Amino acid sequence: MDGDLMTINMGPNHPATHGVLRLKCQTDGEIISGITPVIGYLHRCFEKHSENVTYEQVIPYVDRCDYLSSMTMDFGYVVAVEKLMNIEVPEKVEYIRVVMAELQRIASHLLALGVYGMDMGAFTPMLYMLKERERILDLFELTCGARLLYNYMWVGGLSHDLPRGFVEMTYQFLDQFEPKIDEYDNVLSNNKIFVERTADIGVLPPDVAVNYGVTGPNLRASGVKWDLRKNEAYSIYDRFDFEVPIGEGIKGTVGDCWDRYYVRMIEIRESVKIVRQALAKMPKDGDVHKAVPKKIRPPKGSIYSRTESSRGDLGYYIISDGTPTPSRVKMRSPSFASLSAISEISEGWMMSDMISVLGSLDIVLGEIDR
Amino acid sequence: MSRYFRNIAESLSSLLTGMGITFTHMLKIKKGNVTLQYPEEKWPRPERNIGFNHEDYNVIRSRLTVDINDCIGCLKCERICPVQCIKIETEKAPVRGEDINEINHVGITSNGTNKVQVVTRFDIDMTECCYCNLCTYPCPEECIYMTGGPNSKKHPIDYEFSEHDRSDLIYRFAKPGTKEGIQKVKSKQGAQS
Repeated sequence: MDGDLMTINMGPNHPATHGVLRLKCQTDGEIISGITPVIGYLHRCFEKHSENVTYEQVIPYVDRCDYLSSMTMDFGYVVAVEKLMNIEVPEKVEYIRVVMAELQRIASHLLALGVYGMDMGAFTPMLYMLKERERILDLFELTCGARLLYNYMWVGGLSHDLPRGFVEMTYQFLDQFEPKIDEYDNVLSNNKIFVERTADIGVLPPDVAVNYGVTGPNLRASGVKWDLRKNEAYSIYDRFDFEVPIGEGIKGTVGDCWDRYYVRMIEIRESVKIVRQALAKMPKDGDVHKAVPKKIRPPKGSIYSRTESSRGDLGYYIISDGTPTPSRVKMRSPSFASLSAISEISEGWMMSDMISVLGSLDIVLGEIDR
Repeated sequence: MSRYFRNIAESLSSLLTGMGITFTHMLKIKKGNVTLQYPEEKWPRPERNIGFNHEDYNVIRSRLTVDINDCIGCLKCERICPVQCIKIETEKAPVRGEDINEINHVGITSNGTNKVQVVTRFDIDMTECCYCNLCTYPCPEECIYMTGGPNSKKHPIDYEFSEHDRSDLIYRFAKPGTKEGIQKVKSKQGAQS
């Protein structure tokens, strides 16, 4: 029974590709025998462009790479430049940055989970999750005026101090948000239809994940306990008490789509914990502009610095030649590695399972194409 | 066989839990309603006091506005713009800090700085602007801001600024006729001396 393989193109415009991505699927009947992702539809020359602008002007471009979690992208970049310039950042700035990054992680995961539910045919949870995400975006708008692309973290500081009443409003948000997570569990995570479509499907074994360089929630779902916030604590993450969730195969096998989904759900809970601790410990006063250098001109040299973005291990390699513009900025994007593993994961599964696999990887095309 | 029935029972119970949650949401629809009938209702924008104290500063990102009477033509905003959407041209004023009535040029800013330059062109292309707010910080006279900034009473905060013609989104802040006017003034002075 050796039939010819048929090529089916999915995308570039397809609601389940989360952006503009084309997947060339080799199918044998309805069984997938190989996927070639074709990327580059959202290529915006981030790396080349940043060679022509100054260090502070790169930040708006960094925002636009992973537009769903701009704060964590900013965080990675400013940490890299600060390491290059040996800047000591004030305590208050560090705490605000952690609060913002974790709120952003919650917002990003909420969108990922909600849209994943929608891919699987559950529309209602998406509305509930986007409602809460909207509240987080309101907090960001109050702080820096923008809802999506913030340009909030600067090298050595922040663009604005926290507005009056931000801490109380965040506590208020967290108080009403935490019971909602149980609600999501009831309405989506334990829903039989959802479980049947995701459990045991698209299993990513830990060794394959490591070989492909998959990081973040996708790697943790495969059972590897690796989180840069814990293992290589940057900024002040070593001061907080939180767990690194890993996939346990509650509904099926370790590393299946349901695990990838559920790890994000637990991560939301852990992020809430971190935000609470950071708000409690945050120093009351301090100038957020104190360490902002007048002229950002790092000494000659290079730096590779990595941080944990919502999607995984986000690395920046910056070469400085002593001028105000970087000589080279290279970004190691977590989604790129996750996407490259898709052929391996979905081989042997049906076409409809591939949607499940793609959604569970939570890729952002802006960051893959850069 | 038992697995078959267990599956049915599980499906039913999880469906009922889900429906129960959606039902409670439906019951409190008045309280937790978040949908807005957009053109009639609008999302409330965060309200903050206005002023240059950083704690009070209203940071809404909206369209850029320039108080051209306060602009000294230092080009700092043009240089910091990551997308080069600000275009400024200046001409040296005949006398530093003096009004030129022919072209409505104000010689002294509201901060008391004597102007050296006459701004003949100050164009901001709002189609290119990426709303990063970087241009408002270096301004020494605090004259460029996103609306909703320090002078927001004059310019209401506004997210809806579509135009019928794309060129209408290029905002020209320099007073019309400044370029020809300043050259005329200069040549007249040259003839007098």
